[in-house]
Amino acid sequence: MNIQDIQSQFIIEEYHQKLPIIERLKTIVLQLLESNLEQNHLEVTSINCRIKTEQSLSGKLTLKSGKYHTLYDITDILGARIITFYTDDVDRIAAMAEQLFNIDWQNSVDKRKLHQLDSFGYNSLHYICRLPKSLYFDPECEELNLIPFEIQLRTTLQHAWAAINHDNGYKSGVEIPREYMRRMNRLAGMLEMADDEFSRIRTEINDYRRRVQQLVKNGKIDEMMLDDETFRSYLDAKPLERLNRRIAAITQAEIQEVPLLRYIHILKVLGCNTIGDVNRLIKEYEEDAYLLARHQLGMTDLDIIASSLGLQNICIVYIIKQGGGKIGLERLFNALNGENDQNAALAELTFEQAKSLPFMQNQNF
Amino acid sequence: MTTTIKQDGNRYIACFSGRLDTAAAVQTAEDIKPLLQVERSEIILDCTDLEYISSSGLRIFLTIRKESTARGSRVIVRNINTDIRQVFVMTGFVSLFEIE
Repeated sequence: MNIQDIQSQFIIEEYHQKLPIIERLKTIVLQLLESNLEQNHLEVTSINCRIKTEQSLSGKLTLKSGKYHTLYDITDILGARIITFYTDDVDRIAAMAEQLFNIDWQNSVDKRKLHQLDSFGYNSLHYICRLPKSLYFDPECEELNLIPFEIQLRTTLQHAWAAINHDNGYKSGVEIPREYMRRMNRLAGMLEMADDEFSRIRTEINDYRRRVQQLVKNGKIDEMMLDDETFRSYLDAKPLERLNRRIAAITQAEIQEVPLLRYIHILKVLGCNTIGDVNRLIKEYEEDAYLLARHQLGMTDLDIIASSLGLQNICIVYIIKQGGGKIGLERLFNALNGENDQNAALAELTFEQAKSLPFMQNQNF
Repeated sequence: MTTTIKQDGNRYIACFSGRLDTAAAVQTAEDIKPLLQVERSEIILDCTDLEYISSSGLRIFLTIRKESTARGSRVIVRNINTDIRQVFVMTGFVSLFEIE
């Protein structure tokens, strides 16, 4: 038996000796994490805590022979893993862990930041922690504050990739050809994009929800008569943003912001008396308004649009679907353009274009 | 594509003639620069002889509008043909400009 073997044997014995304390630390850490996640309203996919098995510990000691002198040199003898829905939450929970525990920065690693600009792969945040006395202290068992433990933080998608990559890499016992590794890493890049998009969607939905809640808080939209003030407040909630972005995407156009207050008169003529009416109009006709824009802009290279386009097309579609015909459109263009002989021709052209769209298929002309 | 600017008292008339496409936009942007200095005036963008306008042309009109409005001027687009009027409708620019 060489010196490394003796050291390993000593660590295994220490492991058996300290197991009850580690078990106790596991319960404390798990409770602390769960209660703080709840207090901070952080929803996670899963949280679990495990103690390294003797088999796994022996394997590690063999693999890294001579590196470890005592049990507490092994920083992941106790490990907690938190899987989040969103990538933003990894950072929020990391901040929470920083507040709670003493972080051993020298041994902690953010794998997300280790990648080169052109490489993708395992993404996870690993913090090596100790329990601070200020948080939990038992004079009968001071070792609880000395044992290092690891917290791994990653998203569900990062976890799925890591788990599958681990499964493929270790199960077969043969070296994985470079081509398959490249394909796995390509998937990691794709999942990173998906993670970012999920976070962005959540942020945008929350913003929208807050704006609408604020609007509703100020007064029920069906009781808000359509006027300059209420319409301006309503537009603050950006109810047309999604439609305008979809339209802009047709030609990768930039969106030029335009005041929409001139539409109040038009909306009133179309029968909108309250903000609730406007909201319903937008919701009901936005898809058809998009189809009209796609039909008109799709074959052009016009890469600039006004932010009024979404609402304008909603009005056009509404007029056509309500049977307002060319005369209705001419009135709309007169209101938008100012009265002009050409508006009749424009109304006719728009009407003819709209006739071929799906939403007009059941209409009688 | 040619652009000429005439002054009539407190009114400036920019006459556009030809096709205001991407190729013509650089020169047109130079030609309209004097308009961007005008303060508290009426600026007419006369499009009687303008045959076509592209996104680059729309951006030039937009620059004139932005600069002029900031300097207290009023911008009117005049005599656009049906094709250009349709471009203004398709892009929503009808809501940006006063059109006669």
